[in-house]
Amino acid sequence: MDHQDKTSDRKGWTRREFIYCSLAGAVLGLSVYQAYRRFFPGGLSWPFSRAEPAATFIVRAPRYQMNLASLILRGLKELGITPQEIRGKRILLKPNLVETRIGAEHINTHPLVVRAAVEAFLHLGAARVLVAEGIGHRRDSLLVLEESGLAEVLFEDRIPFVDLNYDTVYTVANTHRATRMATLTFPDILKQVDWIVSLAKMKTHHWAGVTLSMKNLFGVMPGSYYGWPKNVLHAVGIDGSILDINAALKPQLAIVDGILGMEGDGPIMGTPKSAGVLVMGRNLPALDATCARIMGINPHRLGYLAGAAPRLGPIREASIRQLGETIAAVSTPFALIEAIPAHRGIRL
Amino acid sequence: MQDQLAAVYLETIRTRVLNQRGGFVGQAGGGYRPDATAWAVVALQALAQGAGFLQAARASLADQQQADGRVTLSPQHPDTFWPTPLAIFAWHQAPEYRQAQARASHFLLATTGVHWQRGSEVTPFEHDPALKGWPWIANTHSWVEPTALAVMALQITGYGEHERVKEGVRLLLDRQLPGGGWNYGNTKVFGQELLPFPESTGMALNALRGVVSQGQVRKSLDFLQARLQEVRTPLALSWGLMGLASWGEEPAGALGWIGECLEKQKRFGPYDTASLSLLLVASRARQGLESVFRN
Repeated sequence: MDHQDKTSDRKGWTRREFIYCSLAGAVLGLSVYQAYRRFFPGGLSWPFSRAEPAATFIVRAPRYQMNLASLILRGLKELGITPQEIRGKRILLKPNLVETRIGAEHINTHPLVVRAAVEAFLHLGAARVLVAEGIGHRRDSLLVLEESGLAEVLFEDRIPFVDLNYDTVYTVANTHRATRMATLTFPDILKQVDWIVSLAKMKTHHWAGVTLSMKNLFGVMPGSYYGWPKNVLHAVGIDGSILDINAALKPQLAIVDGILGMEGDGPIMGTPKSAGVLVMGRNLPALDATCARIMGINPHRLGYLAGAAPRLGPIREASIRQLGETIAAVSTPFALIEAIPAHRGIRL
Repeated sequence: MQDQLAAVYLETIRTRVLNQRGGFVGQAGGGYRPDATAWAVVALQALAQGAGFLQAARASLADQQQADGRVTLSPQHPDTFWPTPLAIFAWHQAPEYRQAQARASHFLLATTGVHWQRGSEVTPFEHDPALKGWPWIANTHSWVEPTALAVMALQITGYGEHERVKEGVRLLLDRQLPGGGWNYGNTKVFGQELLPFPESTGMALNALRGVVSQGQVRKSLDFLQARLQEVRTPLALSWGLMGLASWGEEPAGALGWIGECLEKQKRFGPYDTASLSLLLVASRARQGLESVFRN
């Protein structure tokens, strides 16, 4: 078949036809958009459409002993996450587990937040929900599970747990290259799920300024290949590692447990700080920027967030659609320590 | 109790063996792991059982060894050389692997973490970063557990007086928490003393056995004595018990604690091969890990 035959094939379009149709489509599209903005100025909500990716939902949650699953379900709905989107999906929840001190609820993602997230996803029809973590400091993951109270919840609700420090692995090229790491090695379970949900804790951090949904994903990197506590990532740079991991994994959602967070010398030795909120979002840089503002911290002064925008997501307040409570309504400045370099100059 | 534990262990370990390749999987249904294989060899040797598995398991570790002597998690990840001391343990009672063991020892003697001299500037941490030990992964700092494992491996292969081992001992003492015990390897950060872990403490105490005075580790022994009363998970319990045993201390009811720990599989599911093997070794190591290599 010669060139003339191909251009006249009625299964395809000529360049001129393509330009005409594109112009007509643009005019039609503009008319539809104008009508949409006129009749639905706030945008359509679930179950009709998906909200814009940079929306962030804030809900008050003053204590753990309340119906947290209903709050999470409300947040999922506000974020445009439909039952159709979740039905049949395999969901991996990645909590923040670090160390334990008996009775300390401000170090790790609270077990009742994990339980609520499991219930919410199962309610929307998820085929399977599992919890996975590669604990950063401790090699005895079971002891951390037990002493954090999460083991009890997992056992009672029959929720499977995967120790990411010891899973079999796959390796991919590090295309983002915020660090010098040429490759990234991930646990196989990440390939076997449809959604990765970062279930983080709202804390200050003495190396990164804060630890929220993006830093929480350090925990998916297997200790067997990165050391304890994730030595390779510290060696090549924490901020860049956060960006490389998030760019490679593209997690679908994050929920930050700010019901009881940590201020001061986080992520372990700080003091409890109640922000009384759950914060949720599909776009993790936007979500972390919102959490930082709630904590009284300027997200533009946090190295990893400044590096995330705009390629991985927006962090400007004007670029993030706030759903639920406003930042001002729940603002709870977290104490910073002047002697910690990562805390200097980040106050909002 | 010991016989019962041995029977349960042998029954389980048979389901974790890789018959074609030799060696053991890490988790039931998982893939080959050199660390799991090494600990299974040490456990089977301590039981004087499983002769049929031992040869193939040791051979699988030799297959995993690279030209410079390191034993890594996989050939694709040469930086992950932390299983090298474990392979030395696994080969220790098999004369046919003397050469492989010597190459592994030489690799350890020639390898260190990233270290630097502390300058005049104020640093956020308090340990001496110049003291050389061993890292988990190449090109990173040295930490407590890989250093303790390397020190133990070199001690049993006759390098106890080597300067690298002596420096490793100094590193471990330097990383001991002021209040007793060890964690992954930081003592104080930004002026706050961090928390000790039973598993790290147990490993360090095994490495320091016979080379420092009891007074130098008394607080750490006291920490373990108190902490183990409430610990019933395999890694922390087994290393904690071996840490105490290496200094001649055995809490009353220790074997019962191992039984309680095994019972917890009803909650956690089957333990991974390394953890299960370590529990078995802890039940036999009446004077610490080193004592199981004397038989």
